[in-house]
Amino acid sequence: MAPDPKENGSSVDRMDHDEQPASTKVPAKDAKDAKKKKDEKKDEDLSEEDAALKEQLELYVERVNDSNPGIQKMALESMRQEIRTATSSMTSVPKPLKFLRPHYKTLKGYYETMETPELKMFLADIISVLALTMSEENERESLQYRLLGSVGDIGSWGHEYVRNLAGEIGLEFQQRQVNEKSVEDLMDLVKQIVPFHVKHNAEPEAVDLLMEVESLELLIGHIDKGNYKRTCSYLTSFSSYMPEPDDMLVLDVAYQIYRKFEKYPDAMRVALRMDNSQYIKATFKDCNDFLEKQQLCYILARQGVSLDLDDGSLASEDQKEKLQEIISNSKLSEGYLTLARDLDVMEPKTPEDIYKAHLVDGRAGAGASVDSARQNLAATFVNAFVNAGFGQDKLMTAPNVDSSSGSSANSWLFKNKEHGKASAAASLGLILLWDVDDGLPQIDKYFYTQDNHIIAGALLAVGIVNCGVRNECDPAYALLYESVNKEDSTTRIGAIMGLGLAYAGSQKEEVLELLTPIVTDSKVGIDVAGFAAMSLGLIYVGSCNQEVAQSILHALMERSESELGEPMGRFLCHGLGLLYLGKQDDVDATMEVAKTLNPKISQYCQVTLDSCAYAGTGNVLKVQRLLGLCADHLDKGESHQAPAVLGIALVAMAEELGLEMAIRSLEHLLQYGEQNIRRAVPLALGILSISNPKIAVMDTLSRLSHDSDSEVAMAATMSLGLIGAGTNNARIAGMLRNLSSYYYKDPSLLFCVRIAQGLVHMGKGLLTLNPYHSDRFLLSNVALAGLMTFLHGCLDMKSVILGKYHYVLYYLVLAMQPRMLITLDTNLKPLSVPVRVGQAVDVVGQAGRPKTITGFQTHTTPVLLATGDRAELATEKYLPLSSVLEGFVILKPNPDYQHDHLSS
Amino acid sequence: MGQGQSGGLPRPGPPGDKKAEEKKEKKYEPAAPPTRVGRKQRKQKGPEAAARLPVVTPATKCKLRLLKLERVKDYLLMEEEFVTNQERLKPQEDKNEEDRSKVDDLRGSPMSVGTLEEIIDENHAIVSSSVGPEYYVNILSFVDKDQLEPGCAILMHNKVLSVVGILQDEVDPMVSVMKVEKAPLESYADIGGLDPQIQEIKEAVELPLTHPELYEDIGIKPPKGVILYGEPGTGKTLLAKAVANSTSATFLRVVGSELIQKYLGDGPKLVRELFRVADELSPSIVFIDEIDAVGTKRYDAHSGGEREIQRTMLELLNQLDGFDARGDVKVILATNRIESLDPALLRPGRIDRKIEFPLPDIKTRRRIFQIHTSRMTLSDDVNLEEFVMTKDEFSGADIKAICTEAGLLALRERRMKVTQVDFKKAKEKVMYKKKEGVPEGLYM
Repeated sequence: MAPDPKENGSSVDRMDHDEQPASTKVPAKDAKDAKKKKDEKKDEDLSEEDAALKEQLELYVERVNDSNPGIQKMALESMRQEIRTATSSMTSVPKPLKFLRPHYKTLKGYYETMETPELKMFLADIISVLALTMSEENERESLQYRLLGSVGDIGSWGHEYVRNLAGEIGLEFQQRQVNEKSVEDLMDLVKQIVPFHVKHNAEPEAVDLLMEVESLELLIGHIDKGNYKRTCSYLTSFSSYMPEPDDMLVLDVAYQIYRKFEKYPDAMRVALRMDNSQYIKATFKDCNDFLEKQQLCYILARQGVSLDLDDGSLASEDQKEKLQEIISNSKLSEGYLTLARDLDVMEPKTPEDIYKAHLVDGRAGAGASVDSARQNLAATFVNAFVNAGFGQDKLMTAPNVDSSSGSSANSWLFKNKEHGKASAAASLGLILLWDVDDGLPQIDKYFYTQDNHIIAGALLAVGIVNCGVRNECDPAYALLYESVNKEDSTTRIGAIMGLGLAYAGSQKEEVLELLTPIVTDSKVGIDVAGFAAMSLGLIYVGSCNQEVAQSILHALMERSESELGEPMGRFLCHGLGLLYLGKQDDVDATMEVAKTLNPKISQYCQVTLDSCAYAGTGNVLKVQRLLGLCADHLDKGESHQAPAVLGIALVAMAEELGLEMAIRSLEHLLQYGEQNIRRAVPLALGILSISNPKIAVMDTLSRLSHDSDSEVAMAATMSLGLIGAGTNNARIAGMLRNLSSYYYKDPSLLFCVRIAQGLVHMGKGLLTLNPYHSDRFLLSNVALAGLMTFLHGCLDMKSVILGKYHYVLYYLVLAMQPRMLITLDTNLKPLSVPVRVGQAVDVVGQAGRPKTITGFQTHTTPVLLATGDRAELATEKYLPLSSVLEGFVILKPNPDYQHDHLSS
Repeated sequence: MGQGQSGGLPRPGPPGDKKAEEKKEKKYEPAAPPTRVGRKQRKQKGPEAAARLPVVTPATKCKLRLLKLERVKDYLLMEEEFVTNQERLKPQEDKNEEDRSKVDDLRGSPMSVGTLEEIIDENHAIVSSSVGPEYYVNILSFVDKDQLEPGCAILMHNKVLSVVGILQDEVDPMVSVMKVEKAPLESYADIGGLDPQIQEIKEAVELPLTHPELYEDIGIKPPKGVILYGEPGTGKTLLAKAVANSTSATFLRVVGSELIQKYLGDGPKLVRELFRVADELSPSIVFIDEIDAVGTKRYDAHSGGEREIQRTMLELLNQLDGFDARGDVKVILATNRIESLDPALLRPGRIDRKIEFPLPDIKTRRRIFQIHTSRMTLSDDVNLEEFVMTKDEFSGADIKAICTEAGLLALRERRMKVTQVDFKKAKEKVMYKKKEGVPEGLYM
């Protein structure tokens, strides 16, 4: 793939072919040994040439011990010649090596007695090569003699030799490290081997070697334009499996390499993965191309990172404004609607369109009106989820056909009761998601009613509309801050939650000042305090903010035992946990404090902190600890096992392997666990395969949704919704329809089924809840936090989702993102180009240029991308500015493009 | 149980609390729908699919792979730890035992064996037993409905005939005979010459099974199969035996003529079975000797028998490179009439390598003589070179025949040593036979 091996000519390649196979001998040595002995016995069986060669070599061996240095030198030279020119099949040892085997010891003996230093070196070289097949395990003789031998081109001895040497260096290095010896000489060798590997398309091996000798930074100098991509993809996928401090080191090198080749978007991604704000800033600053800068802004906006653009690096005010617009996500709604229009799904859908009752067996219709309030509430949510972000629907925003008889929206609003109205009003926010300018006026009218629930809903709606979008006027804060300290607790919760959603991840100081007193005030209701803590957690997600942590801990200490026992009391712990999301060790201090808390909540708090802090790290030790917690069979009343189960999922979801293995482990939990564990398992499965309807998980959940324990069934139903969220998956939709007829008498379960149906058709199939994006490389903290909050709500389904806090469902909005690819031209106008979309294939460390996608179809942008899908441009006409085609991608015309008359 | 169809209804659980009972009752009606009906799932049956480990990429040996494999191992260790802990705390065995005995009670004893004719709905099916009529019966709830398919063998309750179990479809006994249980004694060392052939077969058959990563390194797909062809007696079967001797993979051997069966459709079925078994026992090597028995060129056949043979070949074509990917199954074919084989059989992708077995040259002949005479007591006057250097065309088998013949001649005369004269006579005899009765040198 790199240009230089081609230039080097086929001779290099051929050498690889020939030498490499010899290696296979080494592992298969035992098997072949027997055969070899036979061979040696039947010396006379050798063919003539072989016999001649053997004789020749024996002669050389003898001459090496000759007294005349000249003859010695000749012998060594010719021996060397023989070895180097030897080719072999894949299945056997090169002949010269085979024949020299019996003389290995002799040669070693000669070496000791030899005097001329120059010849000694030559001999050492040869012994070193022979040691490749002869040396005992762990003897590392090959290396030993290499160090004694001549300093020269080691590559000439063949690929396999270098490989073997690299392995021995790794071992030797470790041992010297233990004995604290100098490693200078080893490093000299390493410096020879690495360029050799890099030159021969063996970047992974170069990386491995440098990792072994702990000097990965040497790599940067050797990488060139042809192979930086392969190397970096190897490095980045490496990082998921490294223990904690090392992974940053690896990423750092990847970052340096990307920077070296001025691949700013890629460098930015790595910087975001490292969560290193200095790198982010530096990348942004050093990028001189304005177009590329805009692309960087899109990447930052997707991750939800805000950046100060006032550092004087920008030429004009105009440019700054443009970038600001992109980075504050204000184009998100527009792009999303473009996608919707292109796919022709603008038409609003009613909940009935989703339930598809006509496909269900007859009796469902009959029992539908068992609990109409709850049904209406369900319809509200379904309506909100399905029409999320479209700005129009048939229940809340339908145009007033007859204005005198009162708007139809209002009539739907009043079909809900009390707290139901709050959710109904808030659903408007979800429908108008991301569209701040048009959305707020529509919500505005609800501020003037008398009903506290509606006001609360409207406040929440404001928060939802502003979720993930920043606006220079900052309307959310202006509208919400007053209501935070109102008398009525519903209104307060609405405002607090709204703030949390609007400013999630922004670390806004004003909100901190506003909400901290509420958390610490022990006079306010525990629910208000709980939501305040949660909002603070969201706003300061993953920031380790001490002030917030102190105040939440304070609240946890002050509150009475009974209050902490309530589900909302646990939100305090969860809010605290969010502060440390993914921060690993930084949680330790707080953890110590958590141990001193009231025993009622202490365990719960510790588990939550632990699972939050290591969420998305793939830390196996943590999984082990959490699994250990689940192994106990506790008396009733202990509540920390459920979050532990969720914790396993959260920690393990970092990489594909852990994810699949965790799904396996959860199966055991189902088998052996008590009820409280079993209830959390479906939710854990849900988050592990979120918006990714895998058949195996689907089957498991489908089985669990018929469980005799109704809470397990509810959780499983919800999870069916989660794994299918935004996919329109027909299979899940069918399952849910069956469930809806199965549970037609049970209002609570039916409610869950409805919500799940709404989730599956979320955004009419244009949205995803997956917190991972950019080829599963980056994790959006805010999205993960939103999901976790939702799941914690689901842990106590009866009192939260089915109780009066059903608006906890709206926390999902934090994770909602359009699963789209929109290509933009240089003026940021949507540009239709053909792209191939297919299943992503892991090509890291593979030879050549393997296809990165399989089973692709060609579409024209904008297109939808399912989880695990990858897109690539199907035209040469444009070059994408970002290597990962997801979200908004700017295309620039390819200067080398030549219009092909034949194909068009 | 003996109450007709209702016998299949699961009884409400142990007399526990009312609530559970109520739930069970309600639960029953629309029993959890089977995930699929119809053809049996091929590879991943329930528990196996769950137990499968994720695939670890890249296949190249590198640290990333090591780390990934270690990660999988860590998780497995954790699972082990968890399960052993749980087993210690709360053994499942008793519970399982209880369940099992209950299932056994429901099944009754003895059970009759029948065939499933048709699945009517989730809980009912039409079955037939070997005698007499078909019945419309229940399927008990503990039967894994995913595995039911029309035509499969089932266990039925002896009185009410409800379906109580599935007979796991065993491997066709015909196929199980093909499995080489005892490795043949011939090894590579017993082959005289043929070095390039050995190398090729090793590269094409053995290496992909033992070191698949080498092929991935280079970025090619390993060959699927090889065909060995050449004159009779040049060592094709011998080499196959040597492969069987040296490999640890499952070795299935079959002769082409075995694939021709009496009844219509049996031949192709046997081929399918053969490859299914090979896939199940993979990594495996399938050796089909005398492939020309089924693999001849297609032509307008008049008799049903010929058409059947052609269909068998078509099935073979499909199995070699058809729709379903065969993973670790390598195929070795052997024939001495390669020119008569169907070109579709030999196209790359099915059989990627054609390995020719020529008549031995002088060097090889010498080796073969050495191999065969190494255990004979020869008198001092024996000069094998004379036979080695002769310009007659010998195959490996001829040489062996000469040696044996010479030995027999010596034996006839109760000599303890084989002499040059014996060899000469033996050679003449063998050559005479080979040339179908025309004495050597008659027309020279």
